[in-house]
This record gives sequence, structure tokens and C-alpha cells, in this order.
Amino acid sequence: MALVLKNSSAALNQHSFSPYADNGGSIVAVAGDDYVVIASDSRLSTGYSIYTRDQSKLFKLSNDSVLGCCGCWCDVLSLTKLLEARMQMYLHEHQKVMSTPAISQMLSTMLYYKRLFPYYILNILAGFDNDGKGVVYSYDPIGNLEKSKFKAGGSSGALLQPVLDNQLGLSNIKEKPEAITLEKALNVVKDAFISATERDIYTGDSIIINIITREGIREEKLELRKD
Amino acid sequence: MNFYGGTIHNGFNDSRNSFGGFRGVDDYNFQPDIDRGFITRAHTPLTTVTSVLALSYEGGVVMAADLVGSYGSLMRFKNCPRIMRVNANVVIGASGDYADFQYLQQIIKQKIIEEECLDDGISIKPRALFCWLTRVLYQRRSKFDPLWNTFVIAGLQDGQPYISCVDKLGTGYEDKQVATGFGSHLATPLFREAVENKPLPSKEEAIAVVKKSLEILFYRDARSFDKYLLATVDSNGAVIEEPQLIKPDWSLAALTECP
Amino acid sequence: MSILSYNGGAVVAMKGKNCVAIASDKKFGIQLQLISKEFPKIFEMGPHLYVGLPGLATDTQTVHARLKFRQNLFELKEGTRMSPKVFSSMVSNMLYEKRFGPYFVEPIVVGLEPDTYEPFICNMDLIGNVCFPEDFVVGGTCEDQLFGTCETMWEPDLSPDDLFETISQALMSAFNRDAGSGWGAVVYIIEKDKVTTRHLKTRMD
Repeated sequence: MALVLKNSSAALNQHSFSPYADNGGSIVAVAGDDYVVIASDSRLSTGYSIYTRDQSKLFKLSNDSVLGCCGCWCDVLSLTKLLEARMQMYLHEHQKVMSTPAISQMLSTMLYYKRLFPYYILNILAGFDNDGKGVVYSYDPIGNLEKSKFKAGGSSGALLQPVLDNQLGLSNIKEKPEAITLEKALNVVKDAFISATERDIYTGDSIIINIITREGIREEKLELRKD
Repeated sequence: MNFYGGTIHNGFNDSRNSFGGFRGVDDYNFQPDIDRGFITRAHTPLTTVTSVLALSYEGGVVMAADLVGSYGSLMRFKNCPRIMRVNANVVIGASGDYADFQYLQQIIKQKIIEEECLDDGISIKPRALFCWLTRVLYQRRSKFDPLWNTFVIAGLQDGQPYISCVDKLGTGYEDKQVATGFGSHLATPLFREAVENKPLPSKEEAIAVVKKSLEILFYRDARSFDKYLLATVDSNGAVIEEPQLIKPDWSLAALTECP
Repeated sequence: MSILSYNGGAVVAMKGKNCVAIASDKKFGIQLQLISKEFPKIFEMGPHLYVGLPGLATDTQTVHARLKFRQNLFELKEGTRMSPKVFSSMVSNMLYEKRFGPYFVEPIVVGLEPDTYEPFICNMDLIGNVCFPEDFVVGGTCEDQLFGTCETMWEPDLSPDDLFETISQALMSAFNRDAGSGWGAVVYIIEKDKVTTRHLKTRMD
């Protein structure tokens, strides 16, 4: 009996360590014909504790590709470091910077490579496709990839996505959808984050917006509520 | 539960260090994990050390941590220094398992020796050490054999105050102020209040806030202690001062009877 | 899986200027299987009083029947209509009676207070913890999505027409991102001298 007890406590201790953490955070990306906007909040947290209020979750991969990552932050650090190294290797091998579609495929492969011990990350990649139009790629933690015009993900994904559907996809609205201007996209992204911050404790502090155009990447910052 | 039961048993049965010799041996009624078809590595910390506090000020950083090593609730060791001077620009502080810290301390010391052997005048900067630590800790967590620590790296990065933090998973971030362990609940609010209107306080102000936080932690964190080390890194180099004592004021405990 | 999401369904209510609105989807399903596209979750309990009961479908019906029973007894005994405030206290009290074996519904009560015609909304959890917000309440399987849409779309002092547009857009956008609810919607706009019921055609997938 004592032996059984010991074994069960050993088994319990086996499970007491989890290699994953949920560090929260949200990403929103919107693509237009000649621009892409990608934004993240800057709160890094675990449970009810805030690690820092100033951690951007956007990673500039090239002059026209930005990756947004949230979820398990230690996995984010590892994946992005590996991704940067793989892009460097591509650059040296092919004498050119990776295009957004090329990165999107490589990222999917890298995530699926870890299928049995996944990176616990929600990835959203923003950039330009081969026709020069804005594009957003979104992933699940094991590499399923979807191409779209707008996407929200992370702890506030469920709150933000229907807002984008309504304001940018113009679902349930009779008027013919027009092309979304950059100004409109920026306003929707900001409003969506301000609303999500009201109801999601893992999103807040501030948002960092990267606006990618053919001229390059411009950064904007907007303060959110800190509670 | 006897002495060989529970967590202590699991500590000894842990395969990752010199006690690994027990593997496959059925002495002491240990059930070898390997017979059950999987390997257990994840342990629980044994001798633990509590909060590390770090705050940046105009021209430098201050770090403080007490000197007690706890064995569960037992105040077992009363001289466990856990702020390490890496070079004139960097100090690191550790909380969590003290043995794991000492193990990593040896590796860092070896790195410093190798660096000095090159004699090229280049020494590791805090951000580089931080990055290296995230990789080491992430690798260990990926092997399900974590180093049970949270490290705080503080120093000067190209002349600017720098503080960052890495936990046992390899989660790393940089900030103006960091407090680990119980300090993340009690000291961080005080730090954030201190830097709210003045992002970089003066050295005196910063040290005062850190000392006050240590005092509050001494009152409320049962694993804390009144003897502590305080380190500063600025243009004077990285200096770890001699151990100091908190002077507690128990008069604030209204219901304490004073004879 | 939670019992609360076994059947699926969503209810939302909003305050406007001298009016309130309550809306729900029409789905009745069993996990991934669709059973009915005409399942009411909102019930008229008086001329200016409605209750929405998202949650386990069997409890939606049982709780509705038991509430009606208690309300009838009250109104016969007191000889007066039940106000939304009193009604919500009664709901809360009835749910708490089953504290340790609850009904799996999260009721939403809306109405206009008698005499003043002041808008009233409230919601509660399955054991009767009540909340009286100033703006909107949500419930059901797409609660998160509804929080997102309502928080962006709602604004104070909406007219009945604007309130209808707002609540409809909020509900449709939300449940189109939820596999547990949808398949048509119904909206009630409650004003002092009339109640407007509108049925919305939505995507059916």
C-alpha cells in the first residue's frame, strides 16, 4: 500500500511541472490593396500577475513582413529566433530576402515539425503577396495556415473577430463592400482593441501598430487602460 | 509520510544529478521510474530562496535579495548569497532552487574565465547574458528537466540601465523594474508607483524604495529574512555591498503586546 | 463539455432611450447535431416584461414554466402586475433554491418599470447572482463574441430604430463566429406603447 502511495505521489509530481504557460496578449491584422496593418497589445502576463506592460508582440521579419505572436512567451522567443536564423540562411543561399508567401509556408512547416511537442503560439503574419497586395496569414499552434484579409487572435480573439467581420467584412450589411481605406482599417483596429480591453484582463496597457506600405514600416502606439 | 516518502524521496530519486545512481536499483523500496516505461525528471525545488528585487535609476541599477535558504518551511541556511557579480557591467540574482542556481553559477564563472583568457577586453553585456539564459532555461524545460529558478539580470547595456528577467520555462522580458517570487505581488506595485511620474529616479530614491520593499517583504513573506545583499551597477562598476540588516518596526502591528 | 453549452444558444439585451431590446438566436441543437430552427428562448412574462433563458434547453422550458407558475400565484394574490425588478428577484430566488443542483440556465430579464417606464435589464448566473448593468447584458455560448460586438457597437440613448439595428448587428456578427448558436434570430424592441417583434434571416450554417 505504501508503495502504491509513493508511486502515485511520484506520478503527481511528474505532472506538477508544465512546460507551457499562457502569457496572454492579442493580435489583429488587416490587409488592404496597398497596405497591411498589424497590431498587438503590450501586456505580458501570467494569471493575475502582469510581468510587464511594455512588451511588443510584433516581430519585424523583413521590410514588408511582420509577424505577430502570442500565447506561451518562451515558445515565442524560441520560434522567432529560429525563424530569423532560417531567413538569414535563405538570404545567404538565394541572395534575396524571403517574400511573405515564402515565410508563410516556412512558418507552417516549422510549426508542424513540432507537431508532437508544439509551440503553443498563435501566429499572424502580415505582408504582401506575390501580386503586391496586402495579405494576412494566420496559424494554429501546429501549423494549419489560412490566408485572409483580416484576422484577430489571442486571448481576445473571440471578442475581436466578429467586430472585424462586421466592420471590415461588412457581413449582414446590404451596402456593397467598398475597398477598406487605411484610415478606416486603423480606426477599426483601435476601436476593437479599446473594446476588448474592457472585457479581457489579459489584453491591455497599450497597443503597438505596424503599418506596412510599399514605403516601409511605420509604427504607431496607443495607450489602453492599465487595469 | 516517512523521511523517504513524499517530495524528499522524489528529490533523491531524481535522475538528473549525482543521485542518478539509484536508477534501476530497488534499494529503499524506490520504484525505478524507468520500469514504468517513462523517465521522470521534473523535480520540485528543495532548498529555495525567495524574492529578488531590481530597480533602475538615473545612470544605473540596484538589485537586492535576502540571504536565507529555506527547506520547505524550515529556515535552514542563513547565508545563501544569490547575487552574483558577472563583470563590471552585469550582476545576476536568482530565486527558486538554490542548488540549481549554484550549478548555473559555476557555468557562468567558467564562461567568464574563458572570456578573460581571450584577453581582448570584451566582456559579456547584460542583454547577451539574458539571451543566453533564456536559451539555457528553455532547453532544460524542453527536456522536462527544468532549472527551477527565476533569474534577474541587471546592469548597464551600452551605458543605459538594463534589467531583465528569465523564469524556469525560458520566458524572458526586459523592463525598468523587476521583482520575482513574492516580491512580484508586494514590491512591483511599490516600484511601479515610484517610477510612475519619474521614469528614472535618483540612486538614493531607488535604494530607498528597494529597502522599503525588502522591509515589507520581511513582514509578509514567511520565507524572507532580515539579512540581505544589495548590489548597484553604475559608472562606479558593479558593487555588491556587505550584508545589511533590515531594521523592522513592529509598532505598526497594532495588536502586538509590547512588554 | 459544459452542460451549459450542450444545446447551444445566445441571448443579448440592450438599453436604449425610453426603450429596451432583447434578442436571441433560434437554434436548438444537441452538441453538433441540429434539432430545430424554431426554438424560443425569450418569453413574454407581461406587457413590458420579457425573460431570456439561454442554457440547457430542458431547463429553459422548465424554468419558464415554473416562473410563470410563481408569477401567476403572485399576481392573483397581490392583484397587480409583477414589475421587472420584483420578477428578477423572484428568478434569482428560485435559482438559489437549487444552489447545489442548479438549473443550467443564465437568465436575462428585460422590461420597462411600471409608472416611470424606466428601461430595465439584468442578468444572472445559473445560481442566481444578479447584475444590473447600465448598457447591455449577454448570455449563451457566444458570450465572448457578444461582449466584443456589444462593447464596440453599443452607445447611450439609442432610439428604438437604432437600437434594433445595433442589437441585430451585434447578435448576428457574434453568433456567425460560434458553431453553437445561430440559425435565424428574433428581436423584441420594447417601448412604452408598443412591442415590436422582428425575425431575422441569417446564414444557416
